[in-house]
Amino acid sequence: MLVRYIATRLVIGIAQLIGLVIAVFFLIRLLPADPVSRLVGLNPSAEAYAQAERQLGLDRPILTQLLHYLGLAPEEGPGLLQGSLGISWVTGSPIVEEIGRHLPVTIELITLSFLIAFVLAVPIGMLGALKPGGKADRGVFIYSLFAGSQPEFWWGLLFVYLFFFTLGVAPPPLGSLSPLTSPPPEITGMITVDALLAGRPDTFVEALHHLMLPVATLVFILSGPIIKMVRQNMVRALRSDFVLYAHCAGLPRWQIARYALRAAMAPSITLIGILYGFMLGGAVLVESVFSLSGIGQYSVRAVLSFDYPAIQGVVLIITGISLLIYLALDLIHAVIDPRVAY
Amino acid sequence: MSAADLMGPTDEATTLPRRKKRDWLFGIGLTIVAVVVILAAIGPWIAPYDPTSVTPRIVEPPPSLGEIPGLLWGSITGTLEHPPHWMGTDASGFDIFSRVISAPRIDLSIALAANGLSLLVGVLLGLLAGYYRNVATGLLMRVSDVLQSFPVFISAMILVALAGRSTVNIIIALALLYTPIYIRLTRAEVMSQKVRGYVEAARAMGNPELTVALRHVLPNSLAPALIQASVTIGFAILLTAGLSFVGAGVRPPTPEWGLMISTGANQIILGEWWPSVFPGIAISLTVFGFAVLGNALERRYDGG
Amino acid sequence: MTAAEAPMLEVRDLSVAYGVGRDAVRPIDGLSFTLRQREIVGLIGEAGSGKSTAALALMGLARPPGQIVGGQVAFEGRDLLAMDDEALRRIRGRDIGIIVQNPRGALNPMLKVGRQIGNAYRAHNKATRGDSKRRAIDMLRMVGINDPERRVDAYAHELSGGMAQRALIAMALSSMPKLLIADEPTSGLDVTIQAQFLDQMWQTVQETGSAMFLVAQELGILANYCDRVLVLQNGHIAEDAPVRQFFAAPQQPYSREILRLEQDTAEGGITSSGTVKADAEPLVRITGLVKNFPIKGSSKVVQAVHDVDLAIAPGETLGLVGESGSGKTTVGRCLVHLTEPTEGEIRFGDQTLSGLSATALRQMRAKLQIVFQDPYDSLNPRWTIRRILREPLDLHTDLSRGEKDSRSRELLEMVGVDPGLIDRRPQGLGAGMLQRLNIARAIATNPSFIVLDEPTSVLSPRAVVGLVDLLRRLQRDLGLSYLFISHDLTTVRYLCHRVAVMYLGQIVEKGSVDQVFNDPKHPYSKALLAAHLFPDPSQRRVDRQDRRELEGEIPSPIDLPKGCYLASRCPSAKPDCQAQPQELTILPDGRSIRCWRVATGDLADQEGLQHAV
Repeated sequence: MLVRYIATRLVIGIAQLIGLVIAVFFLIRLLPADPVSRLVGLNPSAEAYAQAERQLGLDRPILTQLLHYLGLAPEEGPGLLQGSLGISWVTGSPIVEEIGRHLPVTIELITLSFLIAFVLAVPIGMLGALKPGGKADRGVFIYSLFAGSQPEFWWGLLFVYLFFFTLGVAPPPLGSLSPLTSPPPEITGMITVDALLAGRPDTFVEALHHLMLPVATLVFILSGPIIKMVRQNMVRALRSDFVLYAHCAGLPRWQIARYALRAAMAPSITLIGILYGFMLGGAVLVESVFSLSGIGQYSVRAVLSFDYPAIQGVVLIITGISLLIYLALDLIHAVIDPRVAY
Repeated sequence: MSAADLMGPTDEATTLPRRKKRDWLFGIGLTIVAVVVILAAIGPWIAPYDPTSVTPRIVEPPPSLGEIPGLLWGSITGTLEHPPHWMGTDASGFDIFSRVISAPRIDLSIALAANGLSLLVGVLLGLLAGYYRNVATGLLMRVSDVLQSFPVFISAMILVALAGRSTVNIIIALALLYTPIYIRLTRAEVMSQKVRGYVEAARAMGNPELTVALRHVLPNSLAPALIQASVTIGFAILLTAGLSFVGAGVRPPTPEWGLMISTGANQIILGEWWPSVFPGIAISLTVFGFAVLGNALERRYDGG
Repeated sequence: MTAAEAPMLEVRDLSVAYGVGRDAVRPIDGLSFTLRQREIVGLIGEAGSGKSTAALALMGLARPPGQIVGGQVAFEGRDLLAMDDEALRRIRGRDIGIIVQNPRGALNPMLKVGRQIGNAYRAHNKATRGDSKRRAIDMLRMVGINDPERRVDAYAHELSGGMAQRALIAMALSSMPKLLIADEPTSGLDVTIQAQFLDQMWQTVQETGSAMFLVAQELGILANYCDRVLVLQNGHIAEDAPVRQFFAAPQQPYSREILRLEQDTAEGGITSSGTVKADAEPLVRITGLVKNFPIKGSSKVVQAVHDVDLAIAPGETLGLVGESGSGKTTVGRCLVHLTEPTEGEIRFGDQTLSGLSATALRQMRAKLQIVFQDPYDSLNPRWTIRRILREPLDLHTDLSRGEKDSRSRELLEMVGVDPGLIDRRPQGLGAGMLQRLNIARAIATNPSFIVLDEPTSVLSPRAVVGLVDLLRRLQRDLGLSYLFISHDLTTVRYLCHRVAVMYLGQIVEKGSVDQVFNDPKHPYSKALLAAHLFPDPSQRRVDRQDRRELEGEIPSPIDLPKGCYLASRCPSAKPDCQAQPQELTILPDGRSIRCWRVATGDLADQEGLQHAV
């Protein structure tokens, strides 16, 4: 049952990705933007314009462009099938390389934020669930509703004002390390990890210090939905018939707690996956506030400069990773809750 | 349906007391939303300054608490040189207060229009997809799957930046990204409603199929989409502001909260907090207000 | 007082409250009764009277946010409500077991049922994992689950409703409790399985000296198995009487009301809804009805209905009975063309339904109506009663708005609903009232024929009595014909003139109510009637010498046997039965039967089911 479930999910996921690649490809070409004139500047000569168009390959029929991009016309150079996302129109370097540089920054930021948010939110959510409708629950509930509906970029700025400008305990929001520190040799692309690998604890601490505010911002924003979800699932589990029946059967307290916890965690896992996938693209605002050169910042730059290959690459990579995460978490969900794969 | 109804569906459900709702939180949410709606209607008219033209006073801080009574008295008696800048001015000399209270017109109309559009299209397509399950509607669902797997913020950014940074384009982009949610919600509800007894009864009574679908199934399948809409309106406001913040939203000097926060962002390191903080409070409260309302609707629908 | 005489359970002034302060509601308010060893006590009461709350409270539990707010529950002399948690936990499940409604919800969806039963067992007994698994298998076998070695590893969602119910019973009995609380333990089960289970419980109580507290909605269960009957009203016991006394001379108005039909019947007043001319031209005639449902991804079909013939005369009620899966509901739906028949002809008056255009069929629906099983589900929840009743009038009449309104009020009066409720919505109304509204809607356009698809199955006893009264009266006043589909033979007996018994999509016996109920001929009819619990304590099932049931499981409607469908389970089967398809044959007394042994006189009465060993 489980194997078939995985296979079905994989096939659907891949089909979805293919659909997405083609949809994005046509969508950005349908929109009334003119990347050529963006590149050659205002009022170019017709000749310069045509040459630029030829350089970008935009003079060819759109289907030929698509085949090239997908890698179905390998004689013209590598495409998707060959593992290439194309060359950036702005910088001229391969997109894969550029994304490879920016993605780890985002992954580092949001993974750390998720871990902390989760560790804080689960006990708080449970606290609320213990006595639904009580004072603590009311407070927890209002907090989760509030935190879940906040503009993160604004909170980031507030934190900067408070902790950098007023209190001076945080570094300025100007990147992952101070400009004077040389970054550790790149292995994973995540500075904290690379610093440890390079045996530079002081750089590690400095990187953490720089991550402090962006992570705090994201933890605040993320804690809202996570607390709300944990609380809701826990209340539901504690009020479920089977927990009541477990009391009827005289099961020991610890065992009933285990029944309820398992029932509450199973649906939470799926939601966390969705949230994580959302944050891959959604961290852009926090990256922007703190000048972290993550995938979000990269996509802003690509979009504003009409760099089509870069735009396509970013959407594809983010969606691909999200789908993989959904799949992995659905599998965990299926292991915890046998009804899922049924 | 709540879990509490399960063990004794006929026995206990009727004995539970109906809680009287003296819900102050709901009151706060409702007040916030009402204020925002009113500002959207009259904000630009009651603003002391034109929200899109500059004053000669640049980065003037807001009055301190002690100055407020005097300024109030002055503005009533008309003895001031110029109307006070209640929230200060920004780096270009715009009056922040005027811009903050004029912004709901932009922010709220984008959020409402985008949600209205996607709600309309999504509910109709969802009804179709739930009621008639065939190749065409299957394809529709696959398309909506693909659309739904787009990273929302980045896709919105791409659509708006490439189509041109206008209010209409933001509305269309958001509508496109939100439609699949409504399709999915409505379809699921239609599928569970169309097999219910009252639908069979309507058929047995001699209603044509179209009447059954439109008069019986559709009205009973709207609730999930409407609840979602009340939540999504808040998120649409956040998204609109976020787009402006990264420079892919409405163009300056349109009075829009996200844009205002963005223009103030560079000054906050210098300690000039007011250009960003006031519009931020406005967004924060507005979206919270919608979240509270949405949550109340959701709980009413679930019967909890 | 000796130990044997001391009550096992003594409940005094037990109260359960929901909410606090002025908003508080007390579904259980001052409940007191006692329960002795070897005693089965039945609890009956209206829907919403708090029966389930009472059952749970006997364990010292209340469904949150409810709370037990007072009283004593003394089990073997110790007050459960005064105990510390750990002591109470040791009693729950070990000394007192409970079976709740909605078994599937009560089973943990994420654990194999065997593990759950094992956990319950290990909570009270020293045992290893292996021991507890073996115990689980034994318990599952005991409650009649086939192949327990395999089922022990099943999850709740992989079990049918009946199977989940039995798994829950196995869990409740795993530590052999002295007191079993059973809250409508057989509500989802077919009559034959219900009887098996209750027989078994009765026997256990007699043999082990335990006791049972049985919450029931059905008078038949009370009459057949209980020693005493308690009536729950306004949160406390309104009547407490030995079972025979309760049925012979009920004291409370409520008790008298729910027993009224039974007492009428006992005095010989059955089917008082007028006489039917035997030779009248039938109003509805079904010939050769077949309905197959295709299976997705397979060329096979589910044979829901196979070769059914029925005729219903004007003013007649035909009962269609059978267990779940017998195809009786499909027959009803085909009759009104909510389901398109695969084959066969349905004539209504002088018209054939399958030949009608969509428009003509819609017009025909004014005369041909259906009432569904679930009243909560059959009315548009967003519409007021006024709008609900106006809909058929809009569709089929040219009345003015005012005329429609007065017709709606008239309809409400006809079905005994206060016309003052006309602007309410269905939500919050009781099942009985909702079912009356369904009937009002069905008769709005003066139909001559109504299919009643299990209209009483979710109603409380009192609502059933009211509905039977109403249906009889409408038949008398309006000359209606009914097809009454039901698994409840008691109601069928109150209401029907003739009855047809279905098994696996076929009619196996058809005759007058007298013929089929008093002298069933077909082995299946015999088994069905033997398993049915009639509300008559003078003929208790447990007092009968022989209660043999059909054996084995019902064959799948996908791969039906070639010969008699019952052959594999029939105690009178001969080798020929397996090979020979059975025809419906008319006997000299006018009834039809689908069994060659009965038809040819090969199966004499003496050899019949009742005396088979």
